[in-house]
Amino acid sequence: MYLIGNIALILGIIISLYSIAANIIGIKRNDRKWLESARGGILSLAFVTSISAFLLFYILGTSQFQFKYVAAYTNTQLPLVYKLAAFWAGNAGSLLLWAFLLSIYAAIIVLSKKKQNNMIPYVSNILLLNMLFFYIVMVFNANPFEMTETIPADGKGLNPMLQNPGMVIHPVTLYMGYVGLAVPFAYAIAALLMKNMDAGWIKLTRRWTLTAWLFLTIGNIVGGWWAYLELGWGGYWAWDPVENASFLPWLTVSAFLHSVMIQERKNMLRTWNVSLIILSYILSLFGTFLVRSGILTSVHAFGDSNLGTYFLIFMAFMMIFAIYVVITRYQLIKKESKPIEAYFSKESSFLLNNFILVAAAFAVFFGTMYPLISETLTGTKVNVGAPYFNKVMAPIMLALLFLMAICPLISWQKAVFERFLKNTLAPIIGALLFAGAIVVMGVKGIYAIIGLTVTVFMFNVHLAEFWRGMRARRKATKEGFIKAAFQLTRKNQRRYGGYIVHIGIAVIAVGVISSNAYSEEIMKTVNQGESFKVGKYELTFNELTETEEKGNGIVAADIDVKYKGKTNGSIHPEKIFYGTWPEPSSEVAIKTNWKEDLYVVLSSWESKEKVTFVVKINPFVSWIWAGGILMMIGTAIALIGGKTLSFFRVNGRQAGVDI
Amino acid sequence: MKKAVLLSIFYLFLIPTVVLAAFNYNSKEFQTVIQQLDMQGHADHDISTCSIKKVYYEEVIEALNQGQSEKEILKSYIDEYGQAALRTPAADGSGIIAWITPALGFLIGAVVVGFGIKKLTNKNAGKETELLDKVEMTEMEREIVEITFEEERKKHF
Repeated sequence: MYLIGNIALILGIIISLYSIAANIIGIKRNDRKWLESARGGILSLAFVTSISAFLLFYILGTSQFQFKYVAAYTNTQLPLVYKLAAFWAGNAGSLLLWAFLLSIYAAIIVLSKKKQNNMIPYVSNILLLNMLFFYIVMVFNANPFEMTETIPADGKGLNPMLQNPGMVIHPVTLYMGYVGLAVPFAYAIAALLMKNMDAGWIKLTRRWTLTAWLFLTIGNIVGGWWAYLELGWGGYWAWDPVENASFLPWLTVSAFLHSVMIQERKNMLRTWNVSLIILSYILSLFGTFLVRSGILTSVHAFGDSNLGTYFLIFMAFMMIFAIYVVITRYQLIKKESKPIEAYFSKESSFLLNNFILVAAAFAVFFGTMYPLISETLTGTKVNVGAPYFNKVMAPIMLALLFLMAICPLISWQKAVFERFLKNTLAPIIGALLFAGAIVVMGVKGIYAIIGLTVTVFMFNVHLAEFWRGMRARRKATKEGFIKAAFQLTRKNQRRYGGYIVHIGIAVIAVGVISSNAYSEEIMKTVNQGESFKVGKYELTFNELTETEEKGNGIVAADIDVKYKGKTNGSIHPEKIFYGTWPEPSSEVAIKTNWKEDLYVVLSSWESKEKVTFVVKINPFVSWIWAGGILMMIGTAIALIGGKTLSFFRVNGRQAGVDI
Repeated sequence: MKKAVLLSIFYLFLIPTVVLAAFNYNSKEFQTVIQQLDMQGHADHDISTCSIKKVYYEEVIEALNQGQSEKEILKSYIDEYGQAALRTPAADGSGIIAWITPALGFLIGAVVVGFGIKKLTNKNAGKETELLDKVEMTEMEREIVEITFEEERKKHF
């Protein structure tokens, strides 16, 4: 297996090099045979990478501790699902996952119906360059099939914090997002290399970009959910450098998804769109670089890594290459664009939306890098933690929410201000009534109230848009409400899918604003049978029990919960002492209702009769997960539908490539 | 007089209670201080499993109970560890760059986008539509137009 694994990795380098060369020769000589050979190379690469991936799964699943990677991240006690998930727990495995996903994406592209598209050789070469890089790093620095000198009786095991369903979903989805961004990047560069300046590459990559964005969304949301359940500090987003690194491409791709609509309709912003997708791809590499370089302190970083230099060189190479291509084609990109017809139009509002998203990305990037900048320039060590980001990002996100509220009401080309005002009136009155109601109910905190009011305004606008569309449908077709809503969405999946995504963001915003502004926390030491109150909850500590499960010691507290004076079941926060891990792990107990979470951590104990708990009341946190699900549904709807008819309308011909 | 003496005695008993009020982890003062400390990168760790965070918690409680103010406690940490003791850069001196750069970037970006929109907007392009909007129609013509629009619209449902 050692041989098969290593041969597969070395074959990866050889096949990548061969396919790159075959593509170059094929393009230069315009020879189909060479191009077909390169295509075969890519398919072989997918096969070889799949062998490596399945082999790693196999040695992890069967606990073959003669392999360093298996011994470092698993042990015999580990459940099978986590043995397999250890694939991406370490540096070498995560690089193989990246290469595997990339090879599958490349195979899908060359196998697609558009395989005769003459962009494919260029696209596949850019993807092959990426794969070559990952293979080189694996063979020379982070080999998942490296052997141990002596075979240990058991492995070190997986960090307890990673033993959560989030471990199965979060890293994979995030990687699928990162890797997915390589595809539109490759198409954009290919279009530029071919001096093909229309929106053809955008049409070809719309689904790829949207899929990458969807996976980045899932990755970030699931990451937050996992942190909330597993880390025991009661939060879901710590503005850690690595978390920021995954948020950055999400912001720039969000901007890209909006600005490409202008290029589809108007053939405008071509340089901007190319720049945005290059930036998004570079940021995805930047995230990978941050995790592996150790230049910034992060709980997510791989501790034993020295791969930063490799990634820095590759990132710099791809960036310089992309910038060179853009600069040499700049004169071609900038001609032939149609002007915006009015200041007050959807086109202008999308430009503002892009500006705010990019400004948000700049603020996050600057804050993340500031400790490094400060230390390099002034020699002063500083931290840029959550309080900084909360203060800096709050006004930017508020502006974004406001823009999301008004954008759907502004028409393309030239919006009529009177009609805009008329359509805004009901949502804005609804939002102001909501603000008045929460103030009367005693809710305090001016910034949070403003944030929630803008969010409600945004929510109302989207609901009103659905309502108007349904009413128009019903008037024309006499359909019932449900059928009208269904048909309305089905007939314009891009638009209404997008609206559902916006509604999801509004729901998340409610959760984020409320949980930041109105959470309560207490630390309480109680005796057996003693009760204490937190918010509207009354908790009674019954007993502390000790059990053993699969070699791990579990200490659990039994607590009865009353909510508003009524019995509301019991909860059992735990502390688990792993046989193979020095630090115990907290398993928090959470009781959720629609408006708040009761979050209990078993902190410490003096004896079985005297225990200390950390208890938090986190308002509307469950809305963040619900909003995430809505965003996924909305994106899926937009992804399934959406023919870019306007593209054909604008260009009036096929885009120079065989689409 | 008797009432005044009794009240004075009562207040005398109260003074030490107020002065020596013990702070705990739930005190607002404690929360205000602790939320600003980076605790050597352990600020977002679970207190129940993080020994470094526990040390900080105990130190802050001790300092508060010794009568130190929020400013004094934070200053003592900054004296020991530098600005890295806190979770945010200072709002003055070298730290000011961290705070103003995003705002500056935002302003510069706003100006660039403003000019961009102005440059990209062709003011004459919309005039044709404006003229069409202003064309006066008879009642009959308006009815015909509306019926035609309605029929065209139905085709899209």
